[in-house]
Amino acid sequence: MSDSKSTVKSAQQRSNGRSVIAFLESLVIAAILLALVQTFLEDYAVLSGWNVDLRNKLLLAGFFFDLFFTIEFLVRFYYALMGRRVGRYLTLERGWIDFLASIPLLMFNSGPFALTLLTGSGIALGLGGLLNLLKVIKAIRIARILRFLRIIKIFRKIKNVSSPMAQRHVASITAISVTVMVLCLLFFTFFSSTLQFNGLDTAFSAQAQATADYLADKTNDPADFVLSLETLKETRVNLLIVKYRGQTLFSRYSNDYYSQYFAPGDYSYLSRDELELFFDQRAYVSQLSRESILFFVIVVLIVLAYLLIYSPHFALTITDPIHVMRRGLEETDYNLEVKVPKRYHTDDVFELAKLYNEKYLPLKDRTRNQEGESLIQFDPAAVSRILPEEEDS
Amino acid sequence: MDPTLARAAAFINHLLSNPALNSLNPLKKEEQILQFLKTNAQSLVPTLTSPQFFSGLAWNQILQLLYTALVQETDKVLRPQLEELIRRKISFSFTSRIQPHRIPEDQCRQQMWELTQRLLQKPEARKSLVGPVTAIVNDLVGRYLEESFKDRQYVHFELTKVQRLRLGIEDIKHMIHATMLLRPSIQLFSEGGGSRGEGVESVLVRPQFAATAFDSMRAQLQIVPPGLLRGGLYSNVSFEEDKQIDATARLAAIFSSRGKNYKPIARVDRGANSPDRSWFSITRRNHKHYGFDIKMLDEFYKIASESGW
Repeated sequence: MSDSKSTVKSAQQRSNGRSVIAFLESLVIAAILLALVQTFLEDYAVLSGWNVDLRNKLLLAGFFFDLFFTIEFLVRFYYALMGRRVGRYLTLERGWIDFLASIPLLMFNSGPFALTLLTGSGIALGLGGLLNLLKVIKAIRIARILRFLRIIKIFRKIKNVSSPMAQRHVASITAISVTVMVLCLLFFTFFSSTLQFNGLDTAFSAQAQATADYLADKTNDPADFVLSLETLKETRVNLLIVKYRGQTLFSRYSNDYYSQYFAPGDYSYLSRDELELFFDQRAYVSQLSRESILFFVIVVLIVLAYLLIYSPHFALTITDPIHVMRRGLEETDYNLEVKVPKRYHTDDVFELAKLYNEKYLPLKDRTRNQEGESLIQFDPAAVSRILPEEEDS
Repeated sequence: MDPTLARAAAFINHLLSNPALNSLNPLKKEEQILQFLKTNAQSLVPTLTSPQFFSGLAWNQILQLLYTALVQETDKVLRPQLEELIRRKISFSFTSRIQPHRIPEDQCRQQMWELTQRLLQKPEARKSLVGPVTAIVNDLVGRYLEESFKDRQYVHFELTKVQRLRLGIEDIKHMIHATMLLRPSIQLFSEGGGSRGEGVESVLVRPQFAATAFDSMRAQLQIVPPGLLRGGLYSNVSFEEDKQIDATARLAAIFSSRGKNYKPIARVDRGANSPDRSWFSITRRNHKHYGFDIKMLDEFYKIASESGW
C-alpha cells in the first residue's frame, strides 16, 4: 500500500517537474524572441535619434537579457556537470552557443554599459585616449553580434515530431552558417587594425587629435586662439565643447540637449594640458548601428531561408520519402507509393523509392493476403479481464 | 443463450468495441477480428482455455464458438445494412433494359436478397462480400465512371460499344453494384474451407468452372437477368484467360478488389501518393496476378492521378 502511494507520489512529482521544465523552456523561447527585438531596437534607436532615456532603458533591458541567459547557461552547465555530460552538453547540445551568447556579452557588452548607467560614471567607456575609447566602443558593439547566436538556440526548442532528422540537419547547417558569419565579423573587427584595414574610427580619431593639437598650440596667443576657435566652430561640426582652465569657451548645444540626446559613447573627450575638448561621435555610432542592423538582417534572413526554403526542400527530397518507405516496410496495411518528383527522380533516394514503388509494393500486395495483420493490438492483460467482469455483473 | 456462447459473445463484443475498428463496416470488422484470432492464436490459447474462460474445450472448438458468436454479432448490424442496400439503394430498373423482356424489379430484389442471405452462411462467401460491400457503400464506382464517361476513353468504349449497354451512368453504376454482389456466388461452388472463417476468399477460377456455376445458378435464379448473373460469376475469371468477359464484370472485379483494400485515410502522408493512385499503380503491376484488364487500370490510374484520389 505504502509502495503504491510512494509510486503515485513520485509519478506526480515527475509530472510536476516536467511542467516546470516545459514552462522554463517556453520562458527561454520568449526571452530569445524578446532579446532579438531588443537587439534590433537598440540599433534602430540610435539611427532614429531616440532620446537618451529610451535608449538607456533599452540598454538596461539588454543587460537583463544577458543576465538571464548567463543564468540559463550556468544552470544548464550545472545540471550537465551533475549528470556527467558536460562534453555532450557543450558540443552535441550546443552548449557552446549558450556560452558565447551569454557570458561574454554580459562581461564585455551590456555589463559595462549597465555599470556606467547605474554608477553614472564613464568608467566603462574608458577615460584614456580617444583612439582607445573608439576601440572599446567598437569592441563592445561587435560583441553584440554574439547575440545573433541566440537565434540558433530556438532550433533546440522546435520539435518537428514527424522528422527529427530534418530538424537536426537544418539546425546544424543554420548553426554553422550563423557561427561562421559571426566569427568572421569578430575576427575581421578585432584584427582590422593589425591588418591595416583603417576605417571611419581611425579617420575620426586622427581628426580629433589634430584639432586638439592645433588648438593646444594656439593657447600661447589668446587672439590667435580665439580666431582659431571661431574657425573650428564652423569647420569641425563634431566639436561639441572646448574648455580652457575649467572655463567653457565654446559649447555647440545647451546642457539640456546634451543630457537628452547624448548617451554614453555618443561623445568623446580629449585633453591637452589645461585644454579640454569634447567631440560628437554620434555619426560613428550610427555607422556601427547601421552595420549592426545589416548583420542582424542578414542573419535573420539566413535563418529564415533555411527554415522556409531549405527545410521543406530537405523534407521533400530526403525525410518524406524515407518516412513513407519506412511505414511501408513496417506496417502490413500501409501501401501508399512514394511520390517521385520529376526533377529529382535521379536522386539516390528517389531511385530507391522507385524500386520500392515498382518492386516492393507489388510484391507486398501479392503476399499480403496470407500475412494480414489485425488492427487490434493484442493485450493479454486486457483479454484476461474481459470475462470475470461479465460474470460479476 | 448457452452460457458458453454468451461468454464467447462477450469476448467478441469486447473486441468489436476496439476503437481501431470504429471506422470499418461490419464485414471489415469481422475480417479484422478473424485476423486477430489467427495471428494471436498462440498467445490466446493459454488464457482462453483456462478455467475462467472455456475450460475443457480444445482450441478448435473455442475458435468455432468464437466464430459463431462473431457471425451473430456481425449479422445483427450487417443484415439490415445489406437489406437496405439491396431493397432501396441499388436500383434494379436497368434489368429490364439489358434483356428483351420486362423483369419485375421487386422479385429481382427479393432473389438478390435471398442469394445474399445464402452467401452470408458460408465463411468464404462472407469474406468475398467485404470488397463489394465496401465499394458500394463508399461509392467507389460512381466517381470513376463519371470521369470515364467524360473522357470517353477505353472504359466508355467497352461499356457502350463492346458490351452495348444503352444505359445512363447511374444505371451502369447500379448494374456494376449488382454484379459485385453476385460475384461471391462463385464461393457457393467452392469446397468449404471450414466453419471457423479461415476459408480462402475469392481466387480466380477457370472459365469452365464459371460456366458450370453459371448454368447451375441460372436454374436457381430465374428472375435475375442471365447477363447480370453471368457478369457476377465471370468476374472471378482472369481477363488474361477470357478476353470476352463483359466490361461490367471486369469493372466489378477491379472495384471489389479496391473495396477490399479500401481504408479511409484522414490524412495522406506528405511525400506519399494518394491512396487510389497508389492502389491502381500497384495493381497495374500485378494485373496478371489478379486477372484484371490492364487498360481499365491504366485509365483509372490516370483519373486517380489527375483528381488527386
